[in-house]
Amino acid sequence: MKLKILPPTLRINKRYLVLDVKSEVKLSKDELVSAIWYGCLRLYGESETSAFNLWLIKFYDIADNNSNNHDINNKIINNDKKSINGKNSQYYHFKAVLRCQRGYEDKIRGSLSMLSNHNNKKIAISTIGISGTIASSIENFIN
Amino acid sequence: MKCYDLNIKGNSYNCNKELILEAHRLGWDYFNLLFSPESYEKAIKYKNNLRDEIEDIIINNLRNKIGLEFGIEIHPKNQNELYKLTKKYRNKTKFISVLGGDLGVNRGVCENIQVDVLSRPYLNLPSCGINHVLAKEAVKNYVAIELCFNDILSSYLSYRSKIMAHFREIIKLHKKFKFPLIITSGASSIWEIRSPRDISAIFKYLDLFEDEFNNTIQNYPQKIIEFNNERENMIILGVKKI
Repeated sequence: MKLKILPPTLRINKRYLVLDVKSEVKLSKDELVSAIWYGCLRLYGESETSAFNLWLIKFYDIADNNSNNHDINNKIINNDKKSINGKNSQYYHFKAVLRCQRGYEDKIRGSLSMLSNHNNKKIAISTIGISGTIASSIENFIN
Repeated sequence: MKCYDLNIKGNSYNCNKELILEAHRLGWDYFNLLFSPESYEKAIKYKNNLRDEIEDIIINNLRNKIGLEFGIEIHPKNQNELYKLTKKYRNKTKFISVLGGDLGVNRGVCENIQVDVLSRPYLNLPSCGINHVLAKEAVKNYVAIELCFNDILSSYLSYRSKIMAHFREIIKLHKKFKFPLIITSGASSIWEIRSPRDISAIFKYLDLFEDEFNNTIQNYPQKIIEFNNERENMIILGVKKI
């Protein structure tokens, strides 16, 4: 039997963080989820992280223009690394929408930016925007 | 708000260009590339080319004005060497940063008006490297104390927590004595650069709140740059040629 949905007043308030992810290797959605959890647990520990209510909503591969509006569940076939003006520092560039609980945005932002390595590969995550709805986060920071 | 990053590690021409473009994309507006005294002479020759090329690339951006300056970072072993090196390089560059990590050097820097920034006073020390005496001297001589974000980013576990404890102590002293405090990225590659808002989120956790953080990335660096631009016209402190 399915549980009845909570009334709006009892639901937790959400915020959506738009993440800008640079990675040395190609990332899947699951790997990014694991990196996010690792970063939060490392900085704030289990008890504080339990209040964050993290959920990765959308994941975009920026190198592939066609994949700009689909979830990672659609297979990404582009393997091109993004380069800055054709120079040698190449990286895979992704964007993601991460759901969290209202009031914890700064803590999550801080712990994600402290992440420099995941599985011995370089990774850099910056938060480029915070929004109250998924639609506005995509409209303002991804499209 | 204009965000100043006074410590970006200078490298080759292309690396510097990449790093500045990436930092600009993330929200920084002013970049101070620090070089060792040996590589500074070579780097200063391409400064104008680098600025022109970057401004050409970001011409369509709303924030298309960037500030770019080159400075020298010196690593003296003791106070005598500190005085010699500052005297030698003061007229050659607009910005001198001294790497701390030795109690004698930390004290020498705080007492020396010729130096702009004492970088990472806690380096390799069991304490934060600053006490109330040095804090008062830093206020008197307007020497800024630098906290480098890259120190947290590149360390982990107990070492990282010790550095964060040193940051907390320095921030506590800053709140009491009001010496100039600056926060820099200390980035040497695009992997080490983060946006100012991200760094703010971390320092909020270290008891440095938003207004104080804005001072550390905008007001104090701006004052240092303005003071340095007028330094060559100054005969002594308070007297300048018009």
